[in-house]
Amino acid sequence: MLRTLACLLIICAVAKGAAAQTLQPILQTHAAEVADPSRGSVSVVLDDLVASGLPQVPTFLERWSDKGVWQNTADGQFYYGRTDGDDLALTDIDTGTQTTVDRAGYTELRPNGGVRRVIGTALVQFQLSDPDLGRRQSAIDSIARRPDADQLAPLLASIDGEPDSLLRARKIQLANFLSASFAGDPADRIAAIDSLSRDTSIEARAVLNQILTTRDVVATDAPDGNIARILTVGTDITADQAYDRLVAADLAPAAIPSAAVRDALAANITDGRVGGIPTAQLNTEATRAQAYAALADRGLVPPRLTEEGRAAAIAAHVFAEVYTEDDPAITDAARAALSSVETRVAAASFADLTLDAMSLASIYFLAAIGLAITFGVMGVINMAHGEFIMMGAYTGYVVQQFVPDYTVSLILALPLAFAVTFAAGVAMERLVIRHLYHRPLETLLATFGISIALQQLAKNIFGTQARPLTSPSWLDGAWVMSDVIQISYIRIAIFVLALLFLGLILYILKRTRLGLEVRAVTQNPGMAASMGIDPDRINMLTFGLGSGIAGIAGVAIGLYAQVTSEMGANYIVQSFMTVVVGGVGNVWGTLAGASLIGSLQKGIEFLNPSNTLAAQTYMVLFIILFIQFRPKGIVAQKGRAAAD
Amino acid sequence: MTQGFIIHNRSMMRFIGLLGLFTLLVTLGSEAMGTGVISTSLVKTLGKTLCLCLIAIAMDVVWGYCGILSLGHFAFFGIGGYAIGMWLMYARTETIVTESLARQVIPPTPAEVTDAIGAQIFGVVGSSDFPVIWSFADSLILQLLMVVLVPGLLALVFGWLAFRSRVTGVYLSILTQAMTLALSLYLFQNDSGLRGNNGLSGLQNIPGFESTPQATISLVFFWGSALALGLGYMLFAFVVGGKMGSIVQGIRDNEARVRFLGYRVEGYKLFVFTLTAVVSGIAGALYYPQAGIINPAEIAPIASIYLAVWVAIGGRGRLYGAVIGAALVSLLSSWFTGGGAPDVNLGFYTVQWTDWWLVLLGVSFVCVTLFAPKGIGGLFDYLIRKPR
Repeated sequence: MLRTLACLLIICAVAKGAAAQTLQPILQTHAAEVADPSRGSVSVVLDDLVASGLPQVPTFLERWSDKGVWQNTADGQFYYGRTDGDDLALTDIDTGTQTTVDRAGYTELRPNGGVRRVIGTALVQFQLSDPDLGRRQSAIDSIARRPDADQLAPLLASIDGEPDSLLRARKIQLANFLSASFAGDPADRIAAIDSLSRDTSIEARAVLNQILTTRDVVATDAPDGNIARILTVGTDITADQAYDRLVAADLAPAAIPSAAVRDALAANITDGRVGGIPTAQLNTEATRAQAYAALADRGLVPPRLTEEGRAAAIAAHVFAEVYTEDDPAITDAARAALSSVETRVAAASFADLTLDAMSLASIYFLAAIGLAITFGVMGVINMAHGEFIMMGAYTGYVVQQFVPDYTVSLILALPLAFAVTFAAGVAMERLVIRHLYHRPLETLLATFGISIALQQLAKNIFGTQARPLTSPSWLDGAWVMSDVIQISYIRIAIFVLALLFLGLILYILKRTRLGLEVRAVTQNPGMAASMGIDPDRINMLTFGLGSGIAGIAGVAIGLYAQVTSEMGANYIVQSFMTVVVGGVGNVWGTLAGASLIGSLQKGIEFLNPSNTLAAQTYMVLFIILFIQFRPKGIVAQKGRAAAD
Repeated sequence: MTQGFIIHNRSMMRFIGLLGLFTLLVTLGSEAMGTGVISTSLVKTLGKTLCLCLIAIAMDVVWGYCGILSLGHFAFFGIGGYAIGMWLMYARTETIVTESLARQVIPPTPAEVTDAIGAQIFGVVGSSDFPVIWSFADSLILQLLMVVLVPGLLALVFGWLAFRSRVTGVYLSILTQAMTLALSLYLFQNDSGLRGNNGLSGLQNIPGFESTPQATISLVFFWGSALALGLGYMLFAFVVGGKMGSIVQGIRDNEARVRFLGYRVEGYKLFVFTLTAVVSGIAGALYYPQAGIINPAEIAPIASIYLAVWVAIGGRGRLYGAVIGAALVSLLSSWFTGGGAPDVNLGFYTVQWTDWWLVLLGVSFVCVTLFAPKGIGGLFDYLIRKPR
């Protein structure tokens, strides 16, 4: 190993001045080993090649390993060759002169897999210090993919000369992983392991877990080696598992399952009886066991182990997990490091979960705020709200069909979606809802009729298959903070959009003439009318505003989910929940409701990751219970406005 | 008060008479009676429609009379279907498994039979163990009890929680919708123990009657549905007819006043909610053996909303209105979506009703709400009042 290191240093020193020398003579010295290398002999060749410090060496090693080197059978000279039909395009190893010859006089060198690995390791030394950043990068990647003890020294040697700071950090990290697993001195390994305790990357955890790999051991008394833990039968493993391990270790005969018993009985029927028992009576486990015992007594079948025998066999053995690593100091250090890493990972995944929850909450907020405005201000439930979301998303899709640039089309789609759904909302208010005030349940049903008609209409126009709403390329990808914390840019954009709308709606309601009139009509329509406010106009505009925001939410949702005619229906129930939980007629209430529902859903999904359906079920149950305790939502209206 | 009760009774007698006549006509025309004017599949459709009419009456009582717009009654319907479906599936699989196991030399143990049935039923969801909820699946009587008890208990607990905290109006509708959503999402899971989105199937095969032709079975179920509808109608006519009916309608019109008059509003609401849920469960138990298959999609929230649509179109607050609405809309719906309706050629576009039926339904529904809030049943008022 030290020799290789020395060689590397020589290479650095010699590489510039020694370009004139040739490689062929060195190869000829070891012609036999080059032509037919074995794992044992190849290292001699490699040492000499590395010692020569020639710039051709890395190329030669690459081609050799890729089966691209040919030997002239007559004079034993080596060439790079590429077959071309029956011809062979030869390149001289030193001069680069190209010739084409008949392939008959040449043999291809075919180093086997073991040899290629040795060559690859030698090659890494060159690639790690290669002037080309890409090749250094790929050398590092190849080490990370297949870590090996031999790579540690060249990696350490290349750190000091690394000009790129990112790659240098990566090399140091990788060197730590390698020394944790492979360093010769236990103190070095422990130091490296300790340094991993601050690294939450998946690789670092894999290295630590690798060190802590255990194997299952069964023994009659306390087993040798670095014991991870002694297993108690009944708590750590079940009796069945314990017995299976005994069988696997050839310490006990295999158990005979009841199906095998039945087959054995069926194979030994004589005169309609098995072991003296009529077959008709063999329909219980007890009689079967009796018949089988009778057969076993006659030596026709292997005896079946009794429960007591099994328990005794298990009690007579110790079941343990033993570390494959023998040094207890190293496994202790790795365990400590891993537990510290896991604490960090837990904190990081909590942060990640919070981000996810915030992103989901902002989606729910966008979807629900329009509903909250119409529901709260006008006391009207709009079941077609989901279809307005869908309309907005389809508007975005249609715009993309005409404007190919995704950024421009997105900028166009947002106001257009608002305009389309605003118009739809105003039309709906004028034609239907206006005639149904004071009949809230009927509004619910009428808007539901509109909802199914719109949904089917979208299906008829755009078909049943999902339509893509492609996001501009600057929204692709994710912001990766570590292996645990990451969030996609689209979700950040939706979060920002939700914040913008929160501000906008608060501004409209609290700071504009329209907002003043809306609040006046909400509190007392009759009084507002007598003060010169036209309640019909306000209702119409409010409904339009709520619907318009649904359209914009549709564009945002369409960016990360598929646009289908049913997408609105998927959000409508969640939107209702958000409004009901948050409290009607209050922007902050909707925000609180969206946050609660978003984080609740993510939290349940985190606890039960395999099953999003179950998460939704539990969430709906939670909301039903929540309404028991706060029937008017988190932010409840007070005073007269709260009355039905 | 008395006069109102008599009017209800009179309309009830008319309804029972019409139902009896209808049953007689269908029986005479059915394949089982040899005439074959009405095909077996039509008998099944008519039988299913009668079940839908039964749940529509229940919905009418809870919404049209008591003012609770429940968007959860189809969930109770589905629970009834699942309860009977579990027995049908278990018993049928047991017959098949016992037959196949009888062929082996060694007779099977009870445990082996159960394992084989489990593997047969739950193979599609990658399991073979019986979940706890299947504990009574081998007993018809217990499962029939489940048809009544499970929807009843669920409605009782849910209604008690909701009415106690005085959740009313639109909030209550959303809450019942949430309950339906939770139930259908739960059933969609593979580990719910009810075969996930595969649902229960093969329910049209009645164990013990394998050799009876489907024509006879479907006619018997038709009779059963007609009987249930008749009894349900009488029960609800009695409930909404007497003094209690007046209180219930008072709650619909002004809950606070009824409470101030000293009535325990919650108790009445809970009674109506639970009773209608039980009837819905029974309707479901009669419906699904005729449909042959039940899966979670059947009890999605949308189904309960359609139920409200039927009642609204038929006319709320009158029992025969609900029957008319359910029968008309569900039969029209299967006629339009089944491709029975002829396409309309507009020259530039051909309207295919399979695509446009829902649009038509949605629009006509808006129109009914706007222009005929009393529904089709409201037309009868004109007929009755004009002579005066």
